[in-house]
Amino acid sequence: MVSKNISPILSGKNLTKKFGGLVAVNNVSIEVERLGVTSVIGPNGAGKSTLFNLLSGSFSPDSGNVFLNEENISNLSPASRLSRGMARSFQITNLFFDLSVDDNLMLACQRLESSKMLVKLNRFSEQAIARSDELIRDFQLESKRQELAGALSHGEQRRLEIAVTMAMKPELLMLDEPTQGMSHSDTIETSNLISELGQKVTILLIEHDVELVMNLSKKVVVMALGSKIAEGEPESVRRDPLVQTAYFGESLA
Amino acid sequence: MLDSKIKAIRIAEIFIFTCALLLVVIGTMLGDSFFIRLATEALIFGGLALAVDLLLGIVGLLSLGQALYFGFGAYMAAVLLKDYQFGFWSVMLAVLLFSALLGWLTSFIALRSKGVYFALITFGLAQVAAKSVYNTRALGASDGMVGVPIVQIATPFGSLNTGDPATFFVIVFITIAILYFVLKYFLHTPTGRIWNGIRSNESRLPYIGYQTAGPKRAAFVLAAIVAALSGALYPMLRGFVSPELMFFSVSGNAVITVILGGVGTLIGALLGSGILTIFKSIIGTLTVHYHIVIGLIFVIVVIFAPKGIIGYFADRIQKRTSHG
Repeated sequence: MVSKNISPILSGKNLTKKFGGLVAVNNVSIEVERLGVTSVIGPNGAGKSTLFNLLSGSFSPDSGNVFLNEENISNLSPASRLSRGMARSFQITNLFFDLSVDDNLMLACQRLESSKMLVKLNRFSEQAIARSDELIRDFQLESKRQELAGALSHGEQRRLEIAVTMAMKPELLMLDEPTQGMSHSDTIETSNLISELGQKVTILLIEHDVELVMNLSKKVVVMALGSKIAEGEPESVRRDPLVQTAYFGESLA
Repeated sequence: MLDSKIKAIRIAEIFIFTCALLLVVIGTMLGDSFFIRLATEALIFGGLALAVDLLLGIVGLLSLGQALYFGFGAYMAAVLLKDYQFGFWSVMLAVLLFSALLGWLTSFIALRSKGVYFALITFGLAQVAAKSVYNTRALGASDGMVGVPIVQIATPFGSLNTGDPATFFVIVFITIAILYFVLKYFLHTPTGRIWNGIRSNESRLPYIGYQTAGPKRAAFVLAAIVAALSGALYPMLRGFVSPELMFFSVSGNAVITVILGGVGTLIGALLGSGILTIFKSIIGTLTVHYHIVIGLIFVIVVIFAPKGIIGYFADRIQKRTSHG
């Protein structure tokens, strides 16, 4: 039990993914420790989204393995990974746009009441409704319950996206550029939300907003051209000369 | 938007119920049978359209071969009534069970594909079935089967005679209403939400914990049952069945009906069927080329009211409430 808590919640070992001749992720290993925010950063095309998709099960690796709580999950579907406590969001907002906010959340929350029945007929599942209400409150969507998800503002959609991802009370929350395309004030709000969530669940974050990452994370992994070039605490990563040339450019040198 | 759609659906439900009631009362008083039988037919084809709307409007699967199950129900009922002297209840039960089996079996072919390929495969399946029936002598081949006897329906309130137009209309109305409310109930269950999720964004569902194959199969089987039970009523009305019931014109008409009434509303299927049947009957007395007129009406609706009649009225209600 003790060893389980010390061991990383998620680890990728020697992951490689090729698209034709392009090696998008080249023999990358990564460990995500329990609680707090671990981030992956890197310039465009560094392979961070591919790494994210390998870890979350959207892609299967050409070689290497993914472990969740020391269980090899490399060949499990996203749905099976979710039942083991791994949930992810999407870089491009990925919701049920022609359904209401309520339905989006209920769809995600009703899975809490797992049943082997093919056709589930209970219309009022208390557990799901309670969880959905809780999320609506936590993510400040009370006034939007009956609106179509597609009619929300971008910031609200991003909030709903995270709320949907949180529905199953995952242990590990994987966020793919959650502040992408957000206004400055929305970004700050989301950043606060992430740091709050990070106290309860483990968060793996992909971002290219470097300042946001540096403020939020306890550990940062830097990728460039498909390889991991540095990892560690934000300050040590920031000072790493390799990182400065590859990513921060001249401004921090 | 959602509220106004719910209101428009409620109004349509009341409207259809009122029309049915008026038709029975006035029709009986005037001793009419033509219009009552026409309305009965509209309801029966409305049941087929309900099945199409479940697949198209809720799950997002365009079936171009739903007449396969409609025709299956019609033929099975005709054979059981004529050759085996089955009663109403046993016919309906048998059609329910065997159409579920047929739907389940064919789902393994149809649900292998998505989008336009699903449409083509369902079309193909129905064509194969229609041609097979067309060439099967035991089923009357191209002539179909005539002489399906009039059924007596045993109920706790005594025996009902389906030969009486008003009585049979009420029976069909109740049957289709049950199918409608069962489907409507399903929409608000967890499974119904998953169906809506499949239409809305199928690839997102695995990430909130769902495999979509099971719910899709359930919807496909349910749509087969609804179409077949509607079809089973047809020979009781007309006294015959013919291979044309499985032809593409029947499947295609059901899709047009749904789009005319309002996709994804369910009640639009019944409303659309009523309107199309009336138009066909009126225009059909004026010209044999009524298909041209129906086609034009369809084009006009798609251009000016793309959400169908229910969608159009929902938008009107929305505007009225938002203007105060």
